[in-house]
Amino acid sequence: MEEKNVNKSLPLIKVEDVCKWYGKVQALKGINLEVYPGEILGLIGDNGAGKSTLIKILSGVLSKNRGKIYWNGEETNISSVKEARNLGIETVYQDQAVIGCLSVAQNIFMGRQPIKSWGPIKILDKGMMREEAEKLAKDLKLHIPSTNQEIRFCSGGERQGVAISRAMYFKAKLVILDEPTTALAVSGVNKVLNFITRLKKEKIASIFVTHNLHHVYSVADRFMVLSRGEKVADVKKEETSVQDLENLQLRKMVSVT
Amino acid sequence: MVNSQKIKLALVEHMIWVIIIGVFIIFSLTISNFFTVKNLLFILYAASPLGLLVFGEAIALSSGNMDLSLSENAGLTAMLVGVILVDWAPWLPGWVGIILMALVGALLGSINGFFIGKLKINPFLITLSTFLMFNWSTYYLRRGAIIKLPDTLLVLGGGKTGGIFNAIFVLVGIVIVLYIILDHTRFGSHIRAIGGNPDASKMLGINVGNTNFWIFTITGALAGISGLLYVGYLKCIPSTIADGAIFLAFAGAIIGGVSLKGGRGSIIGALGGVILMGIIDAGCTMTSMDPALRGVLNGFILLVAILINRTRGNLRDRILMPK
Repeated sequence: MEEKNVNKSLPLIKVEDVCKWYGKVQALKGINLEVYPGEILGLIGDNGAGKSTLIKILSGVLSKNRGKIYWNGEETNISSVKEARNLGIETVYQDQAVIGCLSVAQNIFMGRQPIKSWGPIKILDKGMMREEAEKLAKDLKLHIPSTNQEIRFCSGGERQGVAISRAMYFKAKLVILDEPTTALAVSGVNKVLNFITRLKKEKIASIFVTHNLHHVYSVADRFMVLSRGEKVADVKKEETSVQDLENLQLRKMVSVT
Repeated sequence: MVNSQKIKLALVEHMIWVIIIGVFIIFSLTISNFFTVKNLLFILYAASPLGLLVFGEAIALSSGNMDLSLSENAGLTAMLVGVILVDWAPWLPGWVGIILMALVGALLGSINGFFIGKLKINPFLITLSTFLMFNWSTYYLRRGAIIKLPDTLLVLGGGKTGGIFNAIFVLVGIVIVLYIILDHTRFGSHIRAIGGNPDASKMLGINVGNTNFWIFTITGALAGISGLLYVGYLKCIPSTIADGAIFLAFAGAIIGGVSLKGGRGSIIGALGGVILMGIIDAGCTMTSMDPALRGVLNGFILLVAILINRTRGNLRDRILMPK
């Protein structure tokens, strides 16, 4: 019901016929993809299907060889991580891009901390960082005693929460989650799934990349299956089942309407 | 409960100061004339040239790097500026020499920065080669010592203002500036971030190469200023100036609680390391200890510091670990 409403609007990001070669190997063979505001797209596929290549292109780490990308209907060229961030694309990496010996608050803001300027002297606004971090932690229900806590004492799920809170604070419009649950215990997986539904409530779209169908099935609105660099399915949740998707992922032929 | 935990944590974090007070009390009780204002100021004065090298090393280590060339940078910078002022351009006023010291040091440091930051070569290898080059360039420039130096060049390292050595003002001023940079600026936070996890830092949009370049340029400038203080302290520029001080610079940083693993360490801790080494050095001088034994003692103190820091790290983890 809900997603039919959002689907009526303009796609937030639209990818048209994107190709990528690594030397003679073609990793992506003309991929089309659309994500609508507030939608959760499950991007699934086996190892080597081209998932990582696709999201690296969207997050500005790799450049495409052919094809077009539209952001809010306008053609754009995402050539760097910075450019992607300026558009509002935030990536949460599989290996949890956090710095263990720094505090939760420092990790949320690292790379773009708020500053107070006194003429040419620019001093970190630590008070503001702490306050905002407390708010985010409360909002996401992170189980940490204090945002001053060093992040190495946090569980895997909470670390992903910190990475996701970055996207929330910096008002991302699209969050790309690269295997966010792969390395986690069951409780951590549930936490991360909660974080992702939380993003949806904030009307933030996300692309949930995984090879674990069971993790993504409960939260995603739509699924896209990649196999050997090609899109083999793009189905809404109500039109498919875990079994169908599993078969598609394993490159078996299934009729999908 | 929470309060006692805070006190414990503060004691563990600032253990170096507890040790300093302990050593200080023992020396004051056992060595006559140790506990006088004059002596304390002299200890700080004598420790300040090495102090700046310790700060440079502390910054390099907390960014996950290391800099072997610092003391030789100080020596070459001093010799080069000395030769410029005495032989090549005697018409230059002495104060230009002061500025040149910082600039030449920064320039030599930026050579390290270029190879480590831009070409991504291992900092141990690069600074080992510059160590050798800087060391022998000093001897090539002058074998012996430059003795007649303009007075202005000696003012910061050897002069006094209001009865207090200028070098102490330089040392304290630099501690304040470095503390602000490291703890309260974006650049400082990037230094700890790349020391803690360079890959994650890159993904967070930090330019690791640029940050490394500037780290080595800054440690180079500190070495240059250290050279200036050595010159003022010695009142001449011998070709052996600051030779081998790099080992003590490493020792000072590690005694001050800076970790070789990167991401950890504070400039205030490094200052503690400098002061402790200064106190022990003065104690040895005042009891006229055999210089060779003093060397052995320095090594032994470093060993003890390493053991203390490991225990300290474990204690800290135990206190901070969420229950």
